[in-house]
Amino acid sequence: MNKEEIIEALKTIIEPYSEELTALAHIDENTDFINDLKINSANLVDIVLDIEEKFNIEIDNDSMAKMLTIKATTEIIAQKLEAHAR
Amino acid sequence: MLGNDIVDLNLAKTQSNWRRKNYLGKIFTVEEQLLITSAEKPDEMVWLLWSMKESAYKIHNRKTGIRNFAPKSLNCTIYPNTDQVKGTVSIDKDTYFTKSKIQSKYIHTIATPIYSKLKEIKVSIYEVPNHPCDYKRTKPGSVSHHGQYLALVY
Repeated sequence: MNKEEIIEALKTIIEPYSEELTALAHIDENTDFINDLKINSANLVDIVLDIEEKFNIEIDNDSMAKMLTIKATTEIIAQKLEAHAR
Repeated sequence: MLGNDIVDLNLAKTQSNWRRKNYLGKIFTVEEQLLITSAEKPDEMVWLLWSMKESAYKIHNRKTGIRNFAPKSLNCTIYPNTDQVKGTVSIDKDTYFTKSKIQSKYIHTIATPIYSKLKEIKVSIYEVPNHPCDYKRTKPGSVSHHGQYLALVY
């Protein structure tokens, strides 16, 4: 899975947790879950769990700590997928 | 420095399903999970601990400049009282003191690094549609917004 495919899959996961339609429509690497998408922090956990299920990976606490932007999240997913494939 | 966090319990009920598999383990320490599972009102305990973590994080984030999402690194201890719950939240070498008010419709927590300041903190809570639109001019020490509620502390 390349970066663009990961971002596309992420968009689908994130959509139900944000009401910021304009920000959702313009998601890019720099989009911030809390500042731009106004996602409730308790729902960030749901996003992490959805990612684990969708990509069949495990997100450890240190990785979760960084998952506040699309960029950081995409990087973590790519790393975990790569480690998985080895 | 001050922190505060309000949880609209009605909104929390529909917005978050903490009973979802693996949910609690991502946020709460083993001790905190035990508090939740043994609580008479587990919903209340989940949001009490959550508001403690959030209010302490707001101070810690400003103090250290570190922005992250690591709720499990914030360790809560609670000292239940009659109407208000006092507690501490520790992260690394820092400890923050908290005081929480549990109402039927919301839970509100204030946090400070200095215990004696707890009793000096002034709290204003507004319910929709009574939110003051110019509250920023009053320079609150911390702002929290959830569902129907706006909470300001000074």
